[in-house]
Amino acid sequence: MSNANPYVPFASKVLAIVEHTEREHTFVMAYEGDVKPGQFFEVSIPKYGEAPISVSGICPDVSVDLTIRNVGRVTGELFASFAVGDTVLLRGPYGNGFDVSLYEDGECVVVAGGTGVSPVRGVIDALSHTADAKDKHVIVGFRSPGDMLFRDDLVRWADALDLILTVDGAPEGYEGNIGLVTKYIPDLPLRDPATATAVVVGPPAMMRFSVMGLLQKGFAEENIWVSQERRMCCGLGKCGHCRIGEKYVCLDGPVFNYSVSKDMLD
Amino acid sequence: MSLDVNVKALMKNAFRQSKVRGETASRVRVPGGLINAESMARVVEIAQEFGNGTIFLTNRQGMEIPGIPLEKVPEVNERLQAIIDDSGVNQEERGKGYPAAGTRNVVGCPGSRLCPFGCYDTTALARRMDKAVFPNNRHVKIAFTGCSNDCAHVALNDFGIIGMTEPQYDRDRCIGCEQCVKWCRSRSVGALSVVNGKIVRDEDLCIGCGVCVNYCPTRAWTRSPEHYFRLKIMGRTGKQNPRLAEDWLKWVDEDSIIKIAQNTYAYIDEHIDPGAPGGKEHIGYIVDRTGFEEFVKWALDGVELGPKCERASRVYWGGKRYDRSNELK
Amino acid sequence: MGYVLSREGLDQVLQGLGTEYRLYAPVLKMGEGRFADTDVVRYDFVTSLDQIELSKKSDYAFKELLTPLSETLFFFTEGEVKVADKDVRDVIVLLRACDLHAVKRLDQMYLANGTEKDWFYQRIRDHVRFALIGCPSSFENCFCASMGTNVAPEGWVFSLEEADGGYRCAVADGTLAGLFAEHADAEADVEPAHVVENDTKVRVPENVPTAIYKHQMWDEYTVRCLKCGRCTIACPTCTCYTMQDVFYTDNGRVGERRRVAASCMIDGYTDVAGGGQYRRTGGERMRFKVLHKVHDFRARFGYDMCVGCGRCDDICPEYISFAACVNKLADAVDALGKEVDGDE
Repeated sequence: MSNANPYVPFASKVLAIVEHTEREHTFVMAYEGDVKPGQFFEVSIPKYGEAPISVSGICPDVSVDLTIRNVGRVTGELFASFAVGDTVLLRGPYGNGFDVSLYEDGECVVVAGGTGVSPVRGVIDALSHTADAKDKHVIVGFRSPGDMLFRDDLVRWADALDLILTVDGAPEGYEGNIGLVTKYIPDLPLRDPATATAVVVGPPAMMRFSVMGLLQKGFAEENIWVSQERRMCCGLGKCGHCRIGEKYVCLDGPVFNYSVSKDMLD
Repeated sequence: MSLDVNVKALMKNAFRQSKVRGETASRVRVPGGLINAESMARVVEIAQEFGNGTIFLTNRQGMEIPGIPLEKVPEVNERLQAIIDDSGVNQEERGKGYPAAGTRNVVGCPGSRLCPFGCYDTTALARRMDKAVFPNNRHVKIAFTGCSNDCAHVALNDFGIIGMTEPQYDRDRCIGCEQCVKWCRSRSVGALSVVNGKIVRDEDLCIGCGVCVNYCPTRAWTRSPEHYFRLKIMGRTGKQNPRLAEDWLKWVDEDSIIKIAQNTYAYIDEHIDPGAPGGKEHIGYIVDRTGFEEFVKWALDGVELGPKCERASRVYWGGKRYDRSNELK
Repeated sequence: MGYVLSREGLDQVLQGLGTEYRLYAPVLKMGEGRFADTDVVRYDFVTSLDQIELSKKSDYAFKELLTPLSETLFFFTEGEVKVADKDVRDVIVLLRACDLHAVKRLDQMYLANGTEKDWFYQRIRDHVRFALIGCPSSFENCFCASMGTNVAPEGWVFSLEEADGGYRCAVADGTLAGLFAEHADAEADVEPAHVVENDTKVRVPENVPTAIYKHQMWDEYTVRCLKCGRCTIACPTCTCYTMQDVFYTDNGRVGERRRVAASCMIDGYTDVAGGGQYRRTGGERMRFKVLHKVHDFRARFGYDMCVGCGRCDDICPEYISFAACVNKLADAVDALGKEVDGDE
C-alpha cells in the first residue's frame, strides 16, 4: 500500500499557551500547511483519544491557534500534561472552513457565542482589516464577564469595526452590555440587509434564534453561513458520527450556507 | 352398606381425605408443571364423570379432582393410567394409580422451553428428578427454576434448584456499548464494569443469570456449554419455623443434584423422628436435630462435585420461630 | 464455466483453495444464541465444507471481516506510535447476492466518501475476494427483490449452491477452473440461482419531504425500541465506528487506540464534549437510521444503502420491522404529497 495512512497523526510543537479562563486555553501549535478559519484539527493524544478542535487563529507558515475548553478526557490530559515546548500529535486540518472573501465586500454581520468565537476569530480578524471595516458588525456574547475569550482581540476589534460585546449575565456593577446576542440584531445599523452577509456560530439554540433574527431583519437565506458542531470522530467521512441527512459535517462542513443547513434536521 | 376404607392407604394412593364424608379428591401428578392437551382432557373427563365437575390447580402445579365418591377410587385409578403413562411418572402396578404421595410433585417454572431468561430446560430436569425420587412416601419438596428470578419460588422447598450459566466473553466481539453493564445493574446484581472499553465481570458477585448474554447485541457474551445450578436447601412453610431455603452449593452440576436428592432419602430413613405424625417430618427439622454435618455426610455420599462447584461449609437459616414466640414486634 | 460436484468434490475444491486462501463463511455456532441452548449463525474462518452453514441465513453479516467489531489500530509505547499488525493473507468470503451488493456500500463509505481512503479498511479489503452462495429461494424477512439486490453484481470468483444432493458451481475466475474441473463430476451450464420474489415487499419512497422529520409515524418507535442497536450490528451495510483509546491498567505508559463498531441506535453515539446529545428518543434514532438506508445514502451516492437482507427484522427483540417501517414511510410520504396537492 502506497497511500499514506490518514489516521497517523503528525507531531506539532506547542509554541505558546494563552490562558483565557481557567478552563479555556489557546494552544499555539506549530503548523506550516494551508489552513482556513473554521477548519478543525483532531488533537490526538495517545491512550486518551482524539478531539476535534476548530482553528481559532492562523499565522501563515508558522502556527495555528487551537482554543480548547477543558471538558473531557482528551482535553483534560492536554491541560494537565502539556506545556510550551512539548509535542502534541495532530491530524488535519479537516472540513471546509470559511471563505473569508465572501464577507470582505459590503455589509457583514458576525454573531458568535462562547467558544463559537474560535472558528470565526480568523474571519473577524480579516474583516477588521478591510477598507470598509465600519460596515462589519460583530456581536460577540459570553455567558459572563469571566468567560470572555480573546480579550486582546476584543480591544483591537472594538477599534477597527462595529463590535457589540455582551454577556448573558454579570455581577452587579458590571458596566458592559448585558443580554443575549439576539437582542442586538434588530437594531443593527444596516443600509441594505437584503444584500448583507452574515456568519453565525455558537450553541444550537443561539444559532437558531440568531438566524431567525437575521431573517426577520431582511437577510437572504443564501447570505447566511453557520458552523455546525457535531461529534467529529474521524474527520475523514468514515466513522459516521457527524452525519446529518446526506451531509457529513466533517467533509461538507462544518461551515454551511443556511439555505443548505436549514434542511439538515436532527 | 357402611364404608370401610383404609384412609392411610387411600392417601398413599394420592387421594385426599375430604371433609365431605364419603368423598375424596384425586391428586394428579404433573412433574415440571407441563401436561399435554390429551391428558388435560382426561383430567376434565374424570372430573365430569366421577367428580363434581371442578378441578383444583394446586400450588405445586398438580391438579386435584374433588367430589369423587370413595367407591369410585378403583375406576378413577384405571382412568388415571393414560395420564400417568403420558407424564412418565414411575408406577408400581398398572391400573392402580399413583403408588405414593409423600414426595410431592416436582415443580418447575416454564424454563428455557419458553422463557427468554431460562438457563435450562426446567421441565426435562424436573421430570428426570421425579423419575429419580418417586415413588417415595417421605415428605420431600423439590422445585426447579430457570434463573435467579426464582419464579418457581424454589426457596420454599427442601431442594430449590436455580439455573445458572457462566457468561463467556469474547473481547474481540465487544464494542463497549455497555448495555450488559446497564442491564446487569438494573435487572440483576451489577457484577459488570468497564475497564479500558472492555467489560470485566466480578466472578464473585455474578449469579449466572445470563442477563448480559440476553442483552448483548454482538454475541460477545454467550452462555457456557455447561449448565450450572445453585442449590438452596431446607426451605419450608409451616407452623413452627417457616423459613427460606439457603444456598449450599453454587455452580453445581445436574448429576450431583439428582444424586444428593436420592441420598437424602437414606438420611431421612436413618434419622426421622419415629413418632412424627403420619411418618412425615420436614427434612429441615431433622437437620436441625442431627446437625448440618451429619446431613452433608449422607447427602454427598458418592457425589463428585465438579471443579467449579463452590460449597458453603455451614448453612444458616432464619425465619420466624413461632414455637418460641408469637409476639408482634 | 460451470461444474457439478459431489459433497466430497466441493470439499476437495475448498481444501485446494485453502492452500492459497483463508475461507470466511457462515458457521452455525452451537449454543451461542441469546437464549439457552439456541444457536447463532455468524461468520468465521473455516477449513472444510462441513463447517459451513449453507442452509440458513446468517444472523450476523460477513462485514465483521472488513470492518471488525473491535480492531486495534495503533499501539502506543512511550513516545512511539506503532500501527498494529494485521493478518492480511488472502481471503475468499462466501456470501449471498444481497451481501455482495453490501460490499459496494462498504467500499463507498470507506474508500470513496471524502478524499481520503480508509487505510485500515483498504489493508484488509485488498486481500478479499468473494464467492457467491446461490439463493434458490428467499429466507424469511428477505426483501432483496424490492431493493434490486436479488441478482448478484459482478465480483464473485465462483458460486456454489446445493442441488440434487450435490453442488452446482459457476466459475467466473478462469484461474480457478482447473481446480474445479479436477474435482467435478461433470461440466454443466451453471447460472447462480437467485431469488425472484420475496414474501416481504418494500416500497421505497422516491423523495422524502423534510416534513417527514416531524411526522408522528416515528413516535411509536420511541415506545417500542429498546435502542439496543442489534439491527445495525447485524446489518451488512452499517459502517459506523467509534475510536477508543486506552492505557493498560498494569502499565499506564503503554496503551492502544482501537475502533469499535458504533450504532446510531445506541446511547452515546451523538455525545459531544460538554454533555450535548442529539436524537435521544428511539423514534428519532429509527428515523435517522431508516432515512439513511432508503433516502440519505441515495441522495449522496445515487443508490440505496439497504440491500434487503432482512437481518434487522430477524434480530429485533421487539419485533420492530424495518421493512414495515419503510412501507409506513412510503405511505406517509404519499399522504404528505396529497396534503400539499390539496393546499394548492
